[in-house]
Amino acid sequence: MNDTVEVEKPAKKKGKWTRRAFIGAGVAAGGALVVGVAVRPGNPVDSLKDIVAGGQGEELINSWVKIGADNVITAIVPHCEMGQGANSTIAQMLADEMDADWEKVRVMDAPADGNYVSKDALRVFAAPGFKGGETMEPTYDGLFTQISKLAGGYVTGGSSSVRSTGQNGMRIAGAAAKEMLVAAAAAEWSVPAAEITTDKSMLAHAKSGKSEPFAKFAAAAATQELPRAPKLKTSKEYKLMGRPMQRTDIPAKVNGTANFGIDGAPEGQALKYAAVKAAPIVGSRVKSMDAATAKGMPGVLQILNMGDFVAVVADGYWQAQQALNSIKTSYEKTDIDALNSNKMFANFGKALDEAGDDGGDSKASEGDVLGVMEGAAKKVEAEYRVPFLAHATMEPMNCTAWVRDGKCDIWTGTQVPLWARSAAAEGAGVGDDDVTMHSAFLGGGFGRRLEPDYVTQAARVAKATGYPVKLIWSREEDTAHDHYRPADISRFKGGLDKEGKLTSWNNVHCSTDEPAESPLVEFYDIPNVSVRNAEVEWPLKLGAWRSVGHSQHGFFVESFVDEAAHAAGKDPVEFRRELLAKSPRHLNVLNGAAKMAGWGSELPEGHGRGIALVRSFNSIVAEVAEVDMTKGMPRVTKVFCCVDAGFAMNPDGLSAQMESGIVYGLTAALYDEITLKDGAVQQSNFHDYRMMRMDDAPDIAVQIINGAPDNLGGAGEPGLPPAAPALANAIFAASGKRIRELPIAKHFA
Amino acid sequence: MRNIALPVLLAASVGLVSCGSAPEEPIEQIIVSEPGGAAAGVKQAAATAPAADDLVSQGKAAFAVCAACHSIEAGAAAGPGPNLNGVIGRKAGTAEGFGFTDAMKASGVTWTEAELDSFMTDPAAKVAGTSMTAGAVNDPEARKAITAYLASLTQ
Ligand code: HEC
Repeated sequence: MNDTVEVEKPAKKKGKWTRRAFIGAGVAAGGALVVGVAVRPGNPVDSLKDIVAGGQGEELINSWVKIGADNVITAIVPHCEMGQGANSTIAQMLADEMDADWEKVRVMDAPADGNYVSKDALRVFAAPGFKGGETMEPTYDGLFTQISKLAGGYVTGGSSSVRSTGQNGMRIAGAAAKEMLVAAAAAEWSVPAAEITTDKSMLAHAKSGKSEPFAKFAAAAATQELPRAPKLKTSKEYKLMGRPMQRTDIPAKVNGTANFGIDGAPEGQALKYAAVKAAPIVGSRVKSMDAATAKGMPGVLQILNMGDFVAVVADGYWQAQQALNSIKTSYEKTDIDALNSNKMFANFGKALDEAGDDGGDSKASEGDVLGVMEGAAKKVEAEYRVPFLAHATMEPMNCTAWVRDGKCDIWTGTQVPLWARSAAAEGAGVGDDDVTMHSAFLGGGFGRRLEPDYVTQAARVAKATGYPVKLIWSREEDTAHDHYRPADISRFKGGLDKEGKLTSWNNVHCSTDEPAESPLVEFYDIPNVSVRNAEVEWPLKLGAWRSVGHSQHGFFVESFVDEAAHAAGKDPVEFRRELLAKSPRHLNVLNGAAKMAGWGSELPEGHGRGIALVRSFNSIVAEVAEVDMTKGMPRVTKVFCCVDAGFAMNPDGLSAQMESGIVYGLTAALYDEITLKDGAVQQSNFHDYRMMRMDDAPDIAVQIINGAPDNLGGAGEPGLPPAAPALANAIFAASGKRIRELPIAKHFA
Repeated sequence: MRNIALPVLLAASVGLVSCGSAPEEPIEQIIVSEPGGAAAGVKQAAATAPAADDLVSQGKAAFAVCAACHSIEAGAAAGPGPNLNGVIGRKAGTAEGFGFTDAMKASGVTWTEAELDSFMTDPAAKVAGTSMTAGAVNDPEARKAITAYLASLTQ
């Protein structure tokens, strides 16, 4: 069946890897994922205990769950809260398995000290298709523990938190904790464990009428044997999973008490502020700095030429930024001083010409593409182009650092606390263990905060000046020094047979594909497929941008499928239905979106509908966009979204992520591009790098299909990729104008 | 958000390690003001504490965050929150011309400088059920300044 969303790579070893087997090992191994499970001497939990369970009467059941004397249960989550709500959902999964009272569940960020590494996250993240044999499992586990430690796998990305840490970590932790509590109560009450029931953080024994809160047995539970394979609930037994529980992070965000990276500060210390300006071209360095004016400006304390950037430290941020603006700098020459976007795209074109119809790096090769193409009844060809994109998080990059006595404290929002810790250590010239990370919410991540460059900067400035320094990037700095979503050109040739069926698919593009399946279309029933990429050089730093490669390939692939449908003289939904004949889950999602949108019904003159379907991060999403072309500039009026993420652990959270992915995707599709002139980024702020505003935003409807309760998909990213192609296809339906280059606004100026 | 292939992951970590050896020092460092008093802890800050008058004027500026809801001139009409003129020494929830919550009226608090400080730190924690849902001040210096300002209007 073509429908498995997780890409199956050929198994390297014989034997079937089952999740259950892995779970047993994962819990028992006591490696990075579960840092010991009971409080015993020599167990890492002992050293962690003081950090996470500092309060009076608090007991640590295992490293991921803590029970307070007040019966409040805290989930200790090795992921970051950046608006996506995953930590809350993960806690919900823990609470459900534990039969905890949701009203009394709290979420705490795991300390970034290397002991909380989500091996599971890393596994899904780093090698999604890898499935080792059962006998290999311990080694594989060990390997992952090693890698996670090495790379600091406390990572929030890859839409992986719920489906990895939640599904393979938190649920087990919760179930194990419950079994240990039950065992402790059974011993104390001298009754069989099987007669004890649990509900709302209470243990009860009906026959004797005994009933006590979890907290009563927390200490005794911690000394129980760890259940090797705690029994997990089936989806029918879920009480909290699958329900729209209120997110734990929302109240603080509404009442203003939430702590974001930019709020961080050492207690009782007078902070100084730093503004920075990096050399404008990747690889260039500051040659000279004229700070004559800045020296005399109010509040200025220090002016630094750090080689790769210039910084001003002042009493206030505004003072630092004003003084920085007055500094005149010159830079060393680089190889790309003369580069501009047109030249870069011309280079891409050349690389693609060289790759031709069968050159380059093969990503997928099926059947005889060239031969079948030769004999095709009809040929379709198209070339698409997308620009570099910046992340434009609403909270600009910032980091507060204080370096003294060989120690470094860091307050920042990051998706990778452990990498950030190393980045700080590097900047401060201290060891990783000398760095204390103070965690905070992220005012947007989208992949930008996977790169801790701003953390190194802050540590370097703090070290050089001796001040506790809050370093804040201006919006201009943020826009011009991002790690960008790669620009790309993608070329397609498709062959249709007499019946208008797509029989060959030949695609070549430039970007290297992350994740690897992003350009692949194996769920479409096309017998002859060739997907390749041509190597090019990149003039900018690249990074992961919400949905990564799917953000480009979703647009390329789904635009081309649409063009092929029109060439075949078929309705785009009908055409896709035929292609999805062997992928029932995908087909359901497609039909779901078409039905929601009333596909085929009349629309007013100048309006149109477009559909697109993308599988990403193990979730399948189809979207229908409606566009109004009567005002010149296209206006997206509605988006209908149907999603199958296996099982929606928190349907409200999943819908919210779909909505936000759609808005983020439409923003980029409609308005934005990062362009190069003389080697440097031209855009600087929201006037030339626009955000979608409330009045441009469409009405969005989301429908959820729980198509595979045990095979979870991600939520943070999958809503994004179908948005751009659905809109471009709608524009074509409404006006006959085919958009092959983003952003769309460019074509309607 | 990124799905990195294994080699990249390792490369990334190796990258960090390799350049970790020599953090780059500043090429040029212009010290306009000596950092000596810089990382000044609270104690030092207190030693060079600004004169009281200064504190009052700082407090007046910092009161901007309260002014959206609170009037401050004697006799001025209440806004979303009560008039705070002469609040120091007043019993909570008794100012005229304002409909306080029962929570505030029953709080039993008399507004001293210390009580104000703790209220501003976390209004809902100090007076559970208060309708003052915004206006918490995290910075202890700013709280001190605002209290000083309010006190100056009482005398
Ligand atoms: C969003 C509006 C709002 C803001 C901003 C605000 N307050 Fe209030 N404040 C109120 C309301 C409403 C009450 C009445 C609360 C009640 O009855 O429970 C109140 C009550 C008070 C009281 C009790 C007064 C009395 O007579 O008992 C004090 C003191 C106070 N606020 C101080 C401050 C200070 C200082 C600030 C700024 C740091 C501030 N408030 C900011 C709305 C606000």
